[in-house]
Amino acid sequence: MQGGSSGIGYGLKYQARCIADVKADTDYTSFLTGTLSLKEENEVHLLRLSSGGSELICEGLFSHPNEIWDLASSPFDQRIFSTVFSTGDTFGAAIWQIPELYGQLNSPQLERVASLDAHVGKINCVLWWPSGRCDKLISMDEQNIFLWNLDCSKKSAEVLSKDSAGMLHSLSGGAWNPHDVNAVAATGESSVQFWDLRTMKKVNSIEHAHVRGVDYNPKREHILITAEDESGIHVWDLRKAKVPVQELPGHTHWTWAVKCNPEYDGLILSAGTDSAVNLWYASASSSDEKTSQSPVESIRQRVNPLLNSYTDYEDSVYGLAWSSREPWVFASLSYDGRVVIESVKPFLPRV
Amino acid sequence: MATEAAPMDEKAKRMRDLLSSFYAPDPSISTSGSSISASFDNINSTSFDADQYMDLMIKKSNLEVLLQRHVQMAAEIKNLDTDLQMLVYENYNKFISATDTIKRMKSNIFGMEGNMDQLLHKIMSVQSRSDGVNTSLFEKREHIEKLHRTRNLLRKVQFIYDLPARLQKCIKSETYGDAVRFYIGAMPILKVYGDTSFQDCRRASEEAIEIIIKNLQTKLFSDSESIQARAEAAVLLKQLDVPVDSLKDKLLEKLEQSLDGLQIKPEEASLLAEHNDSSNDAESNEQLPAKIHEDAVRGFSEAMRAYREIFPDSEERLFKLAKALTAMHFENLELYIRKRVSAADFLRIFRIIWEDVILMDEVLPEAELSDLSAEAAQVTVKKFVARTFSHLQQDISDTILKFDINQKEAVEEEVLKVVLEASKKAGIQGTTDIFQDFRQLLDENIGIFVKMKDLIIGWIQNGFQDFFRSLEAQFLALSGKTSSSKDIEGGLVEGKSSDKIHAGLILVLAQLSVFVEQKVIPRVSEEIAASFSGGNSQAFENGPAFIPGELCRVFHAASEKLLQHYIDTRTQKISVLLRKRFKTPNWVKHKEPREVHMYVDMFLHELEEVGKEVKQVLPQGTFRKHKRTDSNGSNTTTSSRSNTLHNDKMTRSNSQRARSQLFETHLAKLFKQKVEIFTKVEFTQESVVTTTVKLCLKSLQEYVRLQTFNRSGFQQIQLDIQFLKAPLKETVEDEAAIDFLLDEVIVAASERCLDVIPLEPPILDKLIQAKLAKSKEHNNNNNNTVSS
Repeated sequence: MQGGSSGIGYGLKYQARCIADVKADTDYTSFLTGTLSLKEENEVHLLRLSSGGSELICEGLFSHPNEIWDLASSPFDQRIFSTVFSTGDTFGAAIWQIPELYGQLNSPQLERVASLDAHVGKINCVLWWPSGRCDKLISMDEQNIFLWNLDCSKKSAEVLSKDSAGMLHSLSGGAWNPHDVNAVAATGESSVQFWDLRTMKKVNSIEHAHVRGVDYNPKREHILITAEDESGIHVWDLRKAKVPVQELPGHTHWTWAVKCNPEYDGLILSAGTDSAVNLWYASASSSDEKTSQSPVESIRQRVNPLLNSYTDYEDSVYGLAWSSREPWVFASLSYDGRVVIESVKPFLPRV
Repeated sequence: MATEAAPMDEKAKRMRDLLSSFYAPDPSISTSGSSISASFDNINSTSFDADQYMDLMIKKSNLEVLLQRHVQMAAEIKNLDTDLQMLVYENYNKFISATDTIKRMKSNIFGMEGNMDQLLHKIMSVQSRSDGVNTSLFEKREHIEKLHRTRNLLRKVQFIYDLPARLQKCIKSETYGDAVRFYIGAMPILKVYGDTSFQDCRRASEEAIEIIIKNLQTKLFSDSESIQARAEAAVLLKQLDVPVDSLKDKLLEKLEQSLDGLQIKPEEASLLAEHNDSSNDAESNEQLPAKIHEDAVRGFSEAMRAYREIFPDSEERLFKLAKALTAMHFENLELYIRKRVSAADFLRIFRIIWEDVILMDEVLPEAELSDLSAEAAQVTVKKFVARTFSHLQQDISDTILKFDINQKEAVEEEVLKVVLEASKKAGIQGTTDIFQDFRQLLDENIGIFVKMKDLIIGWIQNGFQDFFRSLEAQFLALSGKTSSSKDIEGGLVEGKSSDKIHAGLILVLAQLSVFVEQKVIPRVSEEIAASFSGGNSQAFENGPAFIPGELCRVFHAASEKLLQHYIDTRTQKISVLLRKRFKTPNWVKHKEPREVHMYVDMFLHELEEVGKEVKQVLPQGTFRKHKRTDSNGSNTTTSSRSNTLHNDKMTRSNSQRARSQLFETHLAKLFKQKVEIFTKVEFTQESVVTTTVKLCLKSLQEYVRLQTFNRSGFQQIQLDIQFLKAPLKETVEDEAAIDFLLDEVIVAASERCLDVIPLEPPILDKLIQAKLAKSKEHNNNNNNTVSS
């Protein structure tokens, strides 16, 4: 619970909301982040953790035409990423390619691969096919969900299918199920909704209000984690979606984002508007194993699911990403544009 | 001596050998041994060669030795001669005497033959005479024997003819034993001739026996008869081949039926208890239920005793019956305590049962009733203890839920306060009562209770531990904040909490938890230490059962959780309000602000409600005044700071402004001491309200950050916030934080604004005044309508 900073910091020029792990980069641990400035020229930063892990180096700095509300890196090409951006009253989403860099850092132009311009409403997020080389993308606005087919070579994207969630739901974000590539979860005003991409129809939902963030557990099928405004973090078993499997207190104010560790089962990171990032350990036991647990153990786990709280932030933390290359490293981004890379190694469960 | 004896032996041996050779026809047998060894020098051997011996002698010996030898030999020869003479003489003598004896015998035998013949003749004549006598008496004897047989037969016939009469007589005199003996004696005859000659007789006697059997049965069944008599009757019946087993079954069935009457039905139990009570007060003459019951049980045990003696083989069944009765008693007791029962009533019933058990135990010690019932009693008492606790819990939750709170009441009338007080009282009163009850249990001096004392204490301690644990769980469940992870039957709890509990009640629960932590638990632990501290020896195995420290911690955590939950639910409500406010309009195309938006009113109204609820339930903070003076200084500085900020903004050009503004906020943050927004919530009115306000303002800021504003949109926010400032400061203790947060909202809005031009202070003022006037008017109107 100590507030002392052990992390590596990096300052963006402007405020920012989103940071993403560059999954396809197998040589370095790198992150992409984009600024959110209404009136200035926005930038996308490609950050790389030095091999010693002690320094955060800006590998590339690219100007982006509008303020960035969402950013996601392609899982198969480290140079391709998507952004969702806004210009005051209009929104757009695009796929970008980072130009070949040969050492120079003088703000080269990003190459626009494709625009996802079928939306009429406010776009919230773009999701990439969870893993491997596949050219499928999903984009969501407040009412609709689109499935795109991206063709990088032709620099075009076309809508494969779409569905409307209805006026009342106002989707805000989502996650692609890594265990079942046909399933996508989307957070809405009053529920988490699930789509089957083959039929492009809504198949299921968890009625739970004010969900901000959602993430699938990549290690365990059927386990979904949600972050809510006031009521913390919930772990759900999708087979029994009526009642959450586990409940974590979350943050003092809203819990904005929640991410499961790609490697260590049960390790959960959450970012909140109380200027803190919390590291949780949600006991791997779901309800079916619960009975076998000794009471002492269950008490111990109930007492302290919070492993650590990183509080060295000046403002609300909206951006959060685990590194998939070094799964004990995560990047966090507070609203004031400060990127902090931390290692959770001291808190890893001893195996 | 030895040297002397040797030649003597030598001499005797030789003598014997000589004699034996004399008598024996074959001398080699006796002398074979010596003949070989001394073939040359042994004179006695058969192979003795005198010449050779002589030669040897002459060659070996000198004259003197030879002479000596000669003398010796001569003496020996002489000796032998005399010996031989003696032998001949003796034998002759014997021969003479034998001859004499034979001569005498011969003379004696002579003449015996004649005597013998005489004797034979005489015996022959005796025999013939006796034969004559025998034949002459034979006829008479035959006759006598015949007569005798007839007489016997006649006597038997007479007996049988008399049997009915005799039986009747026996019936009259009730000497059934004799009757049965007679009847059984006559049985074989009746069996053989019953169908022919003695038909009537048989019928009559059978009738009589019927009567006897009937009489015997009634005797057996009648409780008034002595046990001895009844046992005899049973034996007689058995002799008469009456199926006794069926009788026994019937009897036992009757006994079983009587069990029903002995039951203490739960409905009656209370009656029993009450009456028992009144009988203690006033010795009334009427038959009291308890008395009746006691008599009944006594009768039952008497009957059992009787049956046991009558049917020694029926013990098993009786055991079963007795056990059934005991089991039934305890079952009924269990049913009885399912309702609310005071310990006194429980004990009264228990005592009655125990007496019953003791009575039965006396009769049937082998049935091990006392063991059985001790076990049953343990179970029952344990259940009673558990039930008492569950009743207490029920009571407390009932008091909490009794009040059907709706929003209006909760705020206007002081329902929450009432609920809190009532449940506090229920808690204290309940525990006091429980202690009284348990003390009664412990004071009870029935044997079993004395034995169980340690156990009971253990249960009580355990009971309290469990009680508090489940109370905490119930509080959490009631509050709707189910800790889902541990609720297996989550569905049920979820269903219950879905009909949203009133937020105020959560607050009550929170305060109640504090109360339990600070008052009830210490009190209980005191009581336990005072009067229930025994039984530790047994409880040590798994640690002491009642751990007040742990419970305090649990309740402390629960109270904090509940308080947090209350704040959460409250802020959630406001959050929904704010969300609607910010989602609905298109902020980029906002029109110029004309008045303070109405969501501010709603916001303030909600806060007011929170304030009222909190005032009812929570204590006032003690440091309010101190805080206010402390914050005065910062108040002025912060406001001046924000003023300068605004002034700056107006003077600068648009392009510069945005960049410098961000800079400025950073700078401001640097210089200002970091305001702790999220402090720990305390159990005071102010702390709760402040926390709620802080959280809401933070939410407001976050909502603002998600939008993009045009100039008018920004101005609207500015206006709303400006309006909020005054009333918020009134309600909240930590003014610095509120100021900070309100500024933050404006900063956030300006950051998200395309064209930041704040409203002029005079316009701001005017709009606010207009709003104030309007709300005042509104209030007045409201009051008027209420009063009229």
